[in-house]
Amino acid sequence: MTETLLLGRRAVREIARYPEATIPALFIPLFFLAVNIGQVSETFPDTTPFLNGQGYAAFQMPVSLMFAVATATSGLALVTEIDNGYFDKLLAAPIRRSSIIFGRLAADLVRGLMGSTVVLIAGLAFGVHMQSGVLGAVVLVVLAALFGVGYAGFGILVALRTRNVQATNTSFLLFFPLLFLTPNFVPFDRLTPVMEALARINPVSYVIVGLRSLVIDGWVWDQLAVCLGVIIALMALLTALSLRAIASYDRD
Amino acid sequence: MIEDGNPAVEVRSLRRTFKGGVEAVRDIDLGISRGEVFGFLGPNGAGKTTTVRMLCTLLPPTSGSARVAGIDVVADGAGVRRRIGVALQEIGLDPVQTGRELLELQCGLYGITGTDARARADELLELVGLSEAADRRTKTYSGGMKRRLDLASALVHSPEVLFLDEPTTGLDPASRLTVWDEVRRINATGTTVFLTTQYLEEADQLCDRVAIIDAGTIVAEGTPESLKAQMGHDVVRVELDGADAARVEAAFGGLEGLERVVTEADALAMYVEDGAGSIAEIVRRLDNAEIRVGAIAVSRPSLDDVFLRATGRRLEGAEEEQEEQEEEAA
Repeated sequence: MTETLLLGRRAVREIARYPEATIPALFIPLFFLAVNIGQVSETFPDTTPFLNGQGYAAFQMPVSLMFAVATATSGLALVTEIDNGYFDKLLAAPIRRSSIIFGRLAADLVRGLMGSTVVLIAGLAFGVHMQSGVLGAVVLVVLAALFGVGYAGFGILVALRTRNVQATNTSFLLFFPLLFLTPNFVPFDRLTPVMEALARINPVSYVIVGLRSLVIDGWVWDQLAVCLGVIIALMALLTALSLRAIASYDRD
Repeated sequence: MIEDGNPAVEVRSLRRTFKGGVEAVRDIDLGISRGEVFGFLGPNGAGKTTTVRMLCTLLPPTSGSARVAGIDVVADGAGVRRRIGVALQEIGLDPVQTGRELLELQCGLYGITGTDARARADELLELVGLSEAADRRTKTYSGGMKRRLDLASALVHSPEVLFLDEPTTGLDPASRLTVWDEVRRINATGTTVFLTTQYLEEADQLCDRVAIIDAGTIVAEGTPESLKAQMGHDVVRVELDGADAARVEAAFGGLEGLERVVTEADALAMYVEDGAGSIAEIVRRLDNAEIRVGAIAVSRPSLDDVFLRATGRRLEGAEEEQEEQEEEAA
């Protein structure tokens, strides 16, 4: 546990010392939020049924939250360490290899909490009202950050498997189809049949729906439960695959 | 510490074959006593780093066995890692951290925390002459400073066996001498040092014993002095400068005190009892045979001569030649 804390503290220190790695990653979600609201607000005024009396910003904010937390930053940091030899130094120390992964994920949690808080504040500035209240806002930020932790496992996995900076960097592109084959602009029932079918089999859709319910509808427990379930499953799957990748690293 | 009777490193028929059938290390045997500075000398790609990675538990052997500090590297990797320090060829530093933070973290990974970690980091920074730069991020360090910090980070837990993989590659001569001093100082405290190098002088100056590895096989082993003594007394090197090697060698048939002749790419190395005394006779014979050659030089045998005898080529200059070939190929 101590080694995980030490490695986590080091990774968190990186966030503070490399703001240039975090700040641009926040620009994209804020940009999408502003642009989407600007373009679609006239089409979907606050009288639109699925907005429940709110502006379109409320509908879009969960998507921006996910953009803010889904990064390949940890994967890139890891592959850089593989490249410069520090990773070998860690492997040669008498620590559990899993602590290297958990240390990175701890930083992702911190980064996710910070990023989603910034997007939430921006959303509030655009007039979003948290239907689930202050506690709902906290849950929203925590769930978004946990989704970021789960997603980070993908970048870490690619880093360990490919040991290649470019491959790890482009792994971020996978997020686009996952994010856009969802009810990100309109609810499921407003999508074309093909898009709806694809969105319904995309687990990310249910994360968006769950987060959105906190903003627009209040406490919708079944949607929240599914959202949490998807996030936990994502975290469990990608973390397990990352742990297996690091355990077998140079051991075959 | 290592129990009495246990060598610091004991390797039996160690082999590593990579995917695609590349045999990086082929059934090597090694025995390194406690307190030794042991040199693993060989060109790039000889199998030095692969051997070190197996001994440091970073790579499993394909077959054979290895014990470090009396512990089997496969059966108890964590036990080995607790007893060894490692500074690999790629300097393993986190550029985001300061020198002090890096050492304190490294202490933590070995179970040294709090004020003990801070004291140990201070002590090591002092030891490697980095106290003034301690609070700067390591990305601002020069190559020599990074190498010294890497060395310090391998020492946080006072390891029984220290592995240094090419510790001076890429360093300027002054930094190289500083690292040598550090290695001597570390060894003086009782730490066994296993270092790989492609520099003959480094092996000669630093090591109690040397093993020469080429193409995954150990081709010679012993103290630098004993290895050189096996070569004979003096070396007379005759640069052929286009002359026919067989004719030149034939001209020296029956030369008094001639112990061995080794043919190189464009030279003959003659190992003779009395180099200086043989020069006149060598020149006379070449003259009589009407053979024109380039320079003729007399020297004492070096580890490079040992390498030449064992492998048929020289180590000195091999890196430059390889780089030139790579540049030409590119």
